[in-house]
Amino acid sequence: MLKNTLLIAKREYVERVRSKVFRITTALVPIGMAGMAYLGSMGTHRIEQGLDQVAIVSNSPELAQQVEAALLSSQHPPRGVEVYAPATPADVARANHEVETHQISGYLKLMDVSGGIPQEATWVSGSSTDFVGQAVMANAVTNGLVRQELLAHGISDEQVQALTRHVNIETMQVKNGQAVTGNAGRSFAGAYALILVLYGAVLIYGINIARSVVEEKTSRIFEVLLSTASADDLMLGKLLGVGATGLTQMAIWAGLLVVAAGSQIAAAHGIHGLESLGITRPELIFFGVFFLLGFFLYSALAAALGSTVSGEQEVQQFSFILISPLVISVFMLPYVLGNPSSTTSVVLSLLPPFTPIIMYMRICAQMPPYWQVLLAVALLGASVLGMVWLAARIYRVGVLMYGKRATVPEMLRWLRYS
Amino acid sequence: MEVLVELEQVSKSYEEKTAVRNLTLKIEAGSMFGLLGPNGAGKTSTIRMIVGITLPDSGKVTLFNKPWTASALQRVGYLPEERGLYKKMKILDQLVFLGELHGLGASEAGRRAKTWCERLQIGETLQKRTEELSKGMQQKIQFISTLLHDPELIIMDEPFSGLDPVNTILLQDTLLELRKQGNAILFSTHRMDQVEKLCDSICLINRGEAVLSGGMREVKSRYERNHVIIHYEGEDGFLSHPAIAESKNYAGHAEIRLKPHADAQDLLRTAAATSTITKFELVEPSLEEIFIETVGGHADA
Repeated sequence: MLKNTLLIAKREYVERVRSKVFRITTALVPIGMAGMAYLGSMGTHRIEQGLDQVAIVSNSPELAQQVEAALLSSQHPPRGVEVYAPATPADVARANHEVETHQISGYLKLMDVSGGIPQEATWVSGSSTDFVGQAVMANAVTNGLVRQELLAHGISDEQVQALTRHVNIETMQVKNGQAVTGNAGRSFAGAYALILVLYGAVLIYGINIARSVVEEKTSRIFEVLLSTASADDLMLGKLLGVGATGLTQMAIWAGLLVVAAGSQIAAAHGIHGLESLGITRPELIFFGVFFLLGFFLYSALAAALGSTVSGEQEVQQFSFILISPLVISVFMLPYVLGNPSSTTSVVLSLLPPFTPIIMYMRICAQMPPYWQVLLAVALLGASVLGMVWLAARIYRVGVLMYGKRATVPEMLRWLRYS
Repeated sequence: MEVLVELEQVSKSYEEKTAVRNLTLKIEAGSMFGLLGPNGAGKTSTIRMIVGITLPDSGKVTLFNKPWTASALQRVGYLPEERGLYKKMKILDQLVFLGELHGLGASEAGRRAKTWCERLQIGETLQKRTEELSKGMQQKIQFISTLLHDPELIIMDEPFSGLDPVNTILLQDTLLELRKQGNAILFSTHRMDQVEKLCDSICLINRGEAVLSGGMREVKSRYERNHVIIHYEGEDGFLSHPAIAESKNYAGHAEIRLKPHADAQDLLRTAAATSTITKFELVEPSLEEIFIETVGGHADA
């Protein structure tokens, strides 16, 4: 009965939206996201700012000079470069001391240079994993070696400068059959943010719905509910109610994002509205579609799993099963972004558990053929209905079992029972 | 009398065991029906089939003179044996929700919830959450949720278990009033004294089968009044009367079990001849004794 479904949905919605957890997560997630964005921008900042003071320690003054020139003419040059060449053990000790006292970010050690080639090239810094510094130095050394060779072959200093200058690569994206200026980094970040939200919401609300099923099961209230409403009413009402809660929260977050993206602070960072984050209107619509369908699929799966256990703690055990397709999807992201039309990407995007994230990712990367999108949506929709039906069956019978957790053969028997 | 519930030759088996076997019973409007039996006898299984939580393997369940349908449950109030309420939900909201599920409007459900809570002396709990209430209070709230939509048929599985004596009497009186208003009440218990006080008819089940059923008077009358209590002054020689199977003699107070079909009046004449009798009573067996006698040593209740 529709009336019962709506009543149950209303209860789930009202109780959840009123709860403290709802208020806290609604406030905390944007704060967390802002924090993550800030930390992320600090990493980029570091690359753009370049390194602080650095030193070059080498037994070859010629190579050291060329590497210094390469460093200073790079895209993000360090603030200053000291050169110790030819270096004495005392110089090395001094450089070590300077790193330790943070006078320099690190020093590049180029030793045993024979025939212009250093046998040892080491970037010594205060951090055990300074990938940024390592990458900058690798570039500079390669560049410096090229400069040295060119000079040795009698090429003039100006020509060497011209040959080894930094070239800025623009990125463009094919959208609707045309190459348009895009910013690969931003487009990726925008899509990635949306995916994280989808992943997070499915995770939070999927587990939430499982808990709610387990609560009704352990408190035995389902027995009263089942004496007036059918298991289908209960399951559908629960999904709609929890889904509406999720949507409410997403709407609040989306509103905040739109406000934030259009704000003065964002404008100061070169962001004007969502479009400049690389999020387009069709992407937003697809986001809504895939969020809803993905949410319902995982929630129904969570409800079905919840019906088979007998206590809260066991929810933790199966939460891994629940999120594993999502985790796989997230791991597949870089691949799918790079190869949006490969067979693997197409097949994955058509498999319902992976569709929400993978197909959405493909749409962001490169619009797939329409039939694929439609087929994926149809398959996903059908499996949502199938999962709700299955969950209602398991709920109907599973909730009457006491104590122990059901085994798989038992679950199959339950399906036949009801 | 209108028959509200009728079970005909109903059976239900689970994986390993038969829960109910060929059970037949009838509950009339305006009557209180007791479903008795030791733990695990099949009481809850029987009730679950009446409210459609499980379906019988064979046999027929009739509700309100029609074959069982889910929609008939709108006229039934069901209190399951294992109690549950939403822990974090406010009592008033909870009662309104359950009332609405049974077809009441929200405002009407709220009004009735308040009236009922005051009637059961827990008006102050309406704005609290379940987890803040004591077990007994929670049980009363559930009791109310069962009755909110004024069901013609009230089905309660072990309604008094875990209640203190004061609240037990409060709820018993409430049920008696509802019966007076014409509602039919079915409740299960393993407490004989409650059944004896409250019920018009009973069905005693053991190992899934009805071993005794019918009107309370009729059931009791099937068992002989073979217990005698005598208060006397003087000689106790009459205790060796041939009609006596067994006797316990306290000072001036004898409790006697007679032999089958023994003549109690002859015992009275003998006793009166030697002693002064201040009291002579032929006691009918308590339901508890009938229960133990019928179920035998197998009862673990």
